Amino acid sequence: MRLRLLSYTPDIEAIIATALLTTSTPSSPSEIHRRLLGDPERVRALLDRVELHHGSLLEHNKLCWLMEASRDEVLELLIKRHYFYATPLGESMWLLSSNLRTALTYAQRYRDRFSDALMETLRDIVPNLIMSLGRGRR
Amino acid sequence: MRVELLGYLSTERLLEALRMAGVTWVPPEQLLPHISFTFSVEGISRACSHQLIRHRTASFTQQSQRYVKVKRLSENVVIPESIREKALQPYMEFIERTGDLYSRLMELGVPGEDARFVLPNATATNLIVTMNGLALRHFFGLRCCLRAQWEIRELADRMLLKVRSADPNLSHFGPYCYQLGYCPEGRFSCGKLAEMRVRYEKLTEIAGLSLDN
Repeated sequence: MRLRLLSYTPDIEAIIATALLTTSTPSSPSEIHRRLLGDPERVRALLDRVELHHGSLLEHNKLCWLMEASRDEVLELLIKRHYFYATPLGESMWLLSSNLRTALTYAQRYRDRFSDALMETLRDIVPNLIMSLGRGRR
Repeated sequence: MRVELLGYLSTERLLEALRMAGVTWVPPEQLLPHISFTFSVEGISRACSHQLIRHRTASFTQQSQRYVKVKRLSENVVIPESIREKALQPYMEFIERTGDLYSRLMELGVPGEDARFVLPNATATNLIVTMNGLALRHFFGLRCCLRAQWEIRELADRMLLKVRSADPNLSHFGPYCYQLGYCPEGRFSCGKLAEMRVRYEKLTEIAGLSLDN
């Protein structure tokens, strides 16, 4: 099984931080988002407060991968975590997508080749979140 | 009411990424579950947000009434046009009294999570909503329809403006009569198929809205 990140919602970490503040402040989400886009330090500090079991904050995004896998492998993946979407593109080639919550929950629950490949693709796009969740406090 | 796009992954962007990866064609219909739009929705009533969250395949993050106290209720309510025309005074009297009661409960030491029990459906709220292409198509199909309640219809129209502007490949999104070419509402149909088609053919003709508001 091979996985390659194709495309994703830009500025995912800023949107997660925006969602976090939206629940607890009177400011509008668009104002919060505008402020946070210019304040990466604040985003980093807010991400440190995100907990995976309050995962709805991680759902405001989309990640798409190109996956080389057999039908059996895809079936196994969808049985394990049915929130993934898979579209066949050809012989053993799939368009796979999910939001960040689905991807991280899978990676947390299963230790397999797909999980490793998944985490590898996430490191560059949500580095602060991965670092925060990886500190073993959650 | 205000609607902003916070982020999205469009068909255009996804198709470009697929082309770069050597995939030359994917049926547009099959891209819909893989695209997504995230909106900031501001100043809608709790009555409206309650309808919105019934679209349960979407993702929501809503301002908490437990942690965010309502400072002046009368400045944080939605007033329906029918009430503005016919019953504004009794409506606002009720809102003022309810706001006073809410403040009184807080002064008496009732926690916010309990004081909010007296807040009306009219109370304004902010939230973030994310939908994939399939969920959006269904949402617009139902909620842009003339049978939908006015506030969520206005919300759907504003969201549709943003989506069409960000992703022209989705210009066929709109109420079901516009998508299908016929009305699926049966005996409840408004009978305005031609009018609806004209209304949703051009962005600027949707309810007099523009991309700036």
